[in-house]
Amino acid sequence: MSMINREVAWRVFASEFNESTLEIEGSEERAPSYLVTPLGAKINRLYAVGVLTEKENIGDPEEPMWRARVTDQTGTFFVSAGQYQPEVTSTLTNMEPPIFVAVVGKANTYEPDDETFLTSIRAEIIKEVSEEQRDNWIIEAARSLKKRLEVAIEASKMEQISVEELVELGFDEKLAEGFKLASEHYDSIDFNRYERMLEDSLRYVLPEYESKSIEEIGEESEDERDEELEDFILDVIAEIEEREGLENGVDYDRVKEKVMEEKEINQEEFEESVTSLRNDGKLYEPVLGNLKRID
Amino acid sequence: MQEKENLAPHIEDINRALNEKLSEEQIEEELRTYTERYGVPLGSAKRSIVKKYDGDPQELYISTDKKIEDIEGDEQGLNIKCRVVSIDDKEIEVDDQPKRIWYGILGDDTGTIPYTLWEAKSIDLEKGDTIKIENAYVNMWNEKPQVNIGSKASVKKIDKEEVPEFERQPQKLDLKDIREDMQDLEITGRVLSIEEKTVNTQEGEEKQLYSGVVADETGKAQFSAWHDFGICEDDVIQVKGGYVRSWRGVPQYSFDENADVRFLDDDELPESEELQETSVYTISDLAKRGGAVDAIVEAVMIDIKSGSGLIFRCPECNRVIQKGACRVHGKVDGKADLRVKGILDDGTGALTVVVNRELTEDILGYDIDKAMDIAKDEMNQDVIRDEIEEKLIAQPLKVRGNVTSDDYGLMLIADEVDQQSIDVEKEARQMLDEVRV
Repeated sequence: MSMINREVAWRVFASEFNESTLEIEGSEERAPSYLVTPLGAKINRLYAVGVLTEKENIGDPEEPMWRARVTDQTGTFFVSAGQYQPEVTSTLTNMEPPIFVAVVGKANTYEPDDETFLTSIRAEIIKEVSEEQRDNWIIEAARSLKKRLEVAIEASKMEQISVEELVELGFDEKLAEGFKLASEHYDSIDFNRYERMLEDSLRYVLPEYESKSIEEIGEESEDERDEELEDFILDVIAEIEEREGLENGVDYDRVKEKVMEEKEINQEEFEESVTSLRNDGKLYEPVLGNLKRID
Repeated sequence: MQEKENLAPHIEDINRALNEKLSEEQIEEELRTYTERYGVPLGSAKRSIVKKYDGDPQELYISTDKKIEDIEGDEQGLNIKCRVVSIDDKEIEVDDQPKRIWYGILGDDTGTIPYTLWEAKSIDLEKGDTIKIENAYVNMWNEKPQVNIGSKASVKKIDKEEVPEFERQPQKLDLKDIREDMQDLEITGRVLSIEEKTVNTQEGEEKQLYSGVVADETGKAQFSAWHDFGICEDDVIQVKGGYVRSWRGVPQYSFDENADVRFLDDDELPESEELQETSVYTISDLAKRGGAVDAIVEAVMIDIKSGSGLIFRCPECNRVIQKGACRVHGKVDGKADLRVKGILDDGTGALTVVVNRELTEDILGYDIDKAMDIAKDEMNQDVIRDEIEEKLIAQPLKVRGNVTSDDYGLMLIADEVDQQSIDVEKEARQMLDEVRV
């Protein structure tokens, strides 16, 4: 029987989602496309809960196009909503960060150049939720991550990953297939990092965890990160300038490459930091495409 | 591999069929040429050799028949010796003409396989007969091989001894795991309810049907017995040889006079009260199963569909009307109703849930009259839907009801809707313990 099954909404933490670089396009007309995470979650739709920390209307007041950031304890989901999501855009118009929100939407990718792969959520639903509902989501996402890790660890013991064998061991077929796909694409997967992410996330909801107010979470994700990143960008520029005796600044792409690699950030984050450095008068472009510090 | 098979008895067999026309060496050489050089199966090779030398292949005595476990996929010219485990008949339409066919299960000491007998029976087959089938063909049906006895095939009764005694071994299944289109199953369960009905079959006959709900420790299933086995409520029954059909979108365990029904001791299963408790299913399990009777789903509501909240129905046909007009009956004076149509998603899958007026009133905390008042005050009936969204989206719920499955996916008709309270701390500690091991 050919059933039209609605795509499941995956619960994944922002960090795993944003590390995804494998996209599978639907081969037939109207066939869904998927984003496969390093641990093999094959995502078309996802359900995420976090803190709405920022929103920006990049359209106009009549026809808003919202970009928003929703942060969980591992990273930030980039959320977008435009004319095809009128309910989402009108809800977002009336939301004031920071608040807890739930987002249901489709995984979206953007590749501005060969080296950059950006992920985001095209929202279908956005709703303010309670802290309790956020904690529920962390539990669900942790359970989902734990299952993928179990598959991944078992599979990595195999000389050749066999979906059949994994299913015989009692793992879900879709997870096994997903991990096989992931393992063929991602060079090396740092299981320890995901194990830590899982443990940290679970500790995060325990009462003994040093609780942070929602305002703090909002500020922290902005300030700490930005300042550190901005300082690093300035340092990179200074270092190259000094080493190579450059007077007219350093090539934009060289800086970008080095910063993105060292800091494991995406292009959007880099560009944002550069913009705020410029706005603060710490950077300028002496010639087109070069960045120079203003001391 | 055939080349490893001892050829001597077959050589003797051919020799006898050909009245010793050839020497044993000649026969062996022929046989090896066919089987080893050209890879012809032993049975066909023997037949071909006997024919080639003007003998009658029917004279061949030693069977090269296949065993049921060797039947793998599409093939022609299948010969097997087996027993009729079950036989049923039904009427189908071929080129607009009614046609009677027989079907059921064949078995030998290696397994069982479904079959269909496409032509009028030349012999009167009964359950338990030992038979030899020649020149049947095999095709795949629901990803499993099935034997087809067509017009070119022959069936004859043979001595009981020709097929070794075997214990019939249908697949044993927990009731939670039954899936649409399964065949030859064994289940054990306690009868929670049973009623006798008279139904009209496709052929217009009246038949007695005994149907109800049976439960084991894993779940419940609807059943229907097409034969009076004397089953009563509360009996613990073991049924061998039933099959699963979908009825109104819910898989149902069905059996007839071909099945073996045994009544077990009462203490084989917990009491009815305990078994009444409803099982929790993941949505992915429900999708594989094709629905369930009286299931619990624990999932998050992630969408509320249009047509939820305060709606108006046509007084003639009960369809939901838009802007005061029914699709069929035009302008009508609509009857107000409340309902929720939403999407429940548990991370393994998603389904549509439908919540009736009474339960929707519980969710809203007020009745339909109040809902009408609110909508009138706001001059907008959508405010009720907005309120449902506010209450349900992102909310973990525990919903009980029947789950049906059709081309549009799974649908859960809610009998009970409860907010699910998750003990976050307990869950987190438990998972942390498991991770640290």
